[in-house]
Amino acid sequence: MDKTPFIRSRWFEDIPVGEFHVFGSYTFSEKEIVEFGKKYAPQVYHTDPDAALDTVYRGLIASGWHICAVWMRMMVDYMERFATGVQDGRRNGAGVGFENLEWLKPVRPGHTLTFTYEIIDKPDKVIREKWGVIRSRNEAFNQYGDLVFSFVIDILAERAPDV
Amino acid sequence: MGQGKTRYWRDIRPGETFETAAITLSTEDILEFAADFDPQPYHLDNGAAAASIFGGLCASGWHVCAVMMRLLTDTFVAARIDLLGSSGVGALRWRKPVFAGDALSSTITVSECLAPVDKSEFGRIVCAVDVSNQQGDSVITLTTTLLIGGGSREAGSDG
Repeated sequence: MDKTPFIRSRWFEDIPVGEFHVFGSYTFSEKEIVEFGKKYAPQVYHTDPDAALDTVYRGLIASGWHICAVWMRMMVDYMERFATGVQDGRRNGAGVGFENLEWLKPVRPGHTLTFTYEIIDKPDKVIREKWGVIRSRNEAFNQYGDLVFSFVIDILAERAPDV
Repeated sequence: MGQGKTRYWRDIRPGETFETAAITLSTEDILEFAADFDPQPYHLDNGAAAASIFGGLCASGWHVCAVMMRLLTDTFVAARIDLLGSSGVGALRWRKPVFAGDALSSTITVSECLAPVDKSEFGRIVCAVDVSNQQGDSVITLTTTLLIGGGSREAGSDG
């Protein structure tokens, strides 16, 4: 199996700006949309397929935060598949924050999103002595090729130890 | 049936502030969200979490975001605001980890109110949201644009 190195297995210094990955695709089911909606965004357009028809959305749509959560799962699964080396998780960096997040189009039951990730910058910062910041632009496209979701996130990667 | 008390975008003014109730996250809540959406060691396993940057088992940052949305939704529904979701987040920072037993509540401050664009049915309000734990420490801060209905259908203006 092809093992492409990824964030977890590389030091900050070894991760190049411009690197591009396709995490994969995910199809949202009605059941999952409703389950997430009931827990975290209880409005009829996220929880009730019939009542949702009578809203401005004309049907059930996924909570935007559900799309974010699925993005995270796609990234974690991608790392699991492609990371080599460190297994104890100690070098897993935390997210610092994100900006310019836009939910551009509704995601409905049966829609399939494809998630892409591009490293756009490595800001010159050292966090708690040993972490660097990897800035990426993340996008998701539906099955019609429409951009439905995008944001820029900063995630920590461990810097190589001083020799 | 509407009692005429529903609040639409034009009823909201910059400077208006909302205080939410609190939601306490249990270990089970943290593990369940992590298993579904963020299965990384520091959200799933005490030993790995202790050795991680967080120093202990903590909630996924996206779980904290989702809880923020629940707090916001419940508060706006109780205030009879016609919330139609969100179009985006200008910026968000994860400031502190959220551990099991932490009680999260939120302050929502309206900074801008924008009328509908073109023929859309909703206005927009820009809000600064500060989610804090029981010690009063901010765990996330963000700015988000919320979509608020205009009441056109209730007013019978169709056709």
